[in-house]
Amino acid sequence: MRIARPYSGVSRSGATARTGPHALPLARIKKIMKRSAGDGSGGDGAGARMISGEAPVVFSRACELFVAELTQAAWAATLEGRRRTVHAEDVAAAVRDTDLFDFLVDVVKPRGDDGGGVDAGGRLPPAAPVHRGALD
Amino acid sequence: MDMGFHGAANGTASAAAGNGGGGAQAPPVREQDRLMPIANVIRIMRRVLPPHAKISDDAKETIQECVSEYISFITGEANERCQREQRKTITAEDVLWAMSRLGFDDYVEPLSIYLHRFREFEGEARGAGVGHHHHGMPPMMLKPRGAPGPMVPHGDMQMHAAGMYGGGAMPHPHHPFHMPPHHGQYPQYEMYGGEHGMAAYYGGAYAPGNSGDGGGSSGNGHGGESTPPAANFENHQTFGYK
Repeated sequence: MRIARPYSGVSRSGATARTGPHALPLARIKKIMKRSAGDGSGGDGAGARMISGEAPVVFSRACELFVAELTQAAWAATLEGRRRTVHAEDVAAAVRDTDLFDFLVDVVKPRGDDGGGVDAGGRLPPAAPVHRGALD
Repeated sequence: MDMGFHGAANGTASAAAGNGGGGAQAPPVREQDRLMPIANVIRIMRRVLPPHAKISDDAKETIQECVSEYISFITGEANERCQREQRKTITAEDVLWAMSRLGFDDYVEPLSIYLHRFREFEGEARGAGVGHHHHGMPPMMLKPRGAPGPMVPHGDMQMHAAGMYGGGAMPHPHHPFHMPPHHGQYPQYEMYGGEHGMAAYYGGAYAPGNSGDGGGSSGNGHGGESTPPAANFENHQTFGYK
């Protein structure tokens, strides 16, 4: 009756039946893990490495920390630009400025068509790779 | 709305580039399998941003992509370790190890605690009986009434979770799994608002207001004493970004 049904996903603060107590759905995490760990076999089936049930649990929390950290860094870039809307370019700036996020440079690189640099005052050439030799 | 058809358009391009470790020759991956649900990602983002902050769609999608890349990145490292040691299963320890190797050593401690809580919760739930803190908890984990069975490959764990929390009856507000005992001892939690944020999830799950009358499907879920903390959790917006 008044209780949120399992699939309705209306729990106010985000814990749905889908995620259980976790902020992110474990099944989805597991799929992504499988894809990264399945030695080229691609499929979820035989041959792929197995994943312990606890590993996605750890990731669900880790991704929270990660998103929080990345968002905060992006927000710093937003403030620097005297804006109050976080744009993709701010995320890109956060990635460039933080060693820890080096692995994301290809993800945040403007993809050409939706070019990220429009709102950042054009300080960064949209398609140019980042030069950060000092850090490597 | 913002469920990202937009992302689907450019997603194919970035899937090849961004998914690094994975299968380039694999069949095209559906968007909903490749990324975390955008709503969940946004929720986590909002927790660390001040209330007046706005988030553009492209930023949301970028972060969403980054999360998947993060999982791939860590998993790849964990996977290599398993390969080296000729183990078949990637464990939570492998994941933690990979994180510390790849610069996320700050995460290891809070995650270990989280994992520890989870294990305690698990052991408790399937061990001496569910009624450790309370009595008469119906054996929800035995019948997946409230659990999304078909979509959970290892239903066991998730059913516990969904049954305990999502099913509406969360009789004890201070369950060991979700609340690290030493509040504030780990600056990480404060800094990211993580602990509080997490608490907010639980708050939502068992807050009496949430389901009208306290999630009474099990008959004992009124949990009157859970009201004050739940009310508190609702205010989680105010911290975490400073």
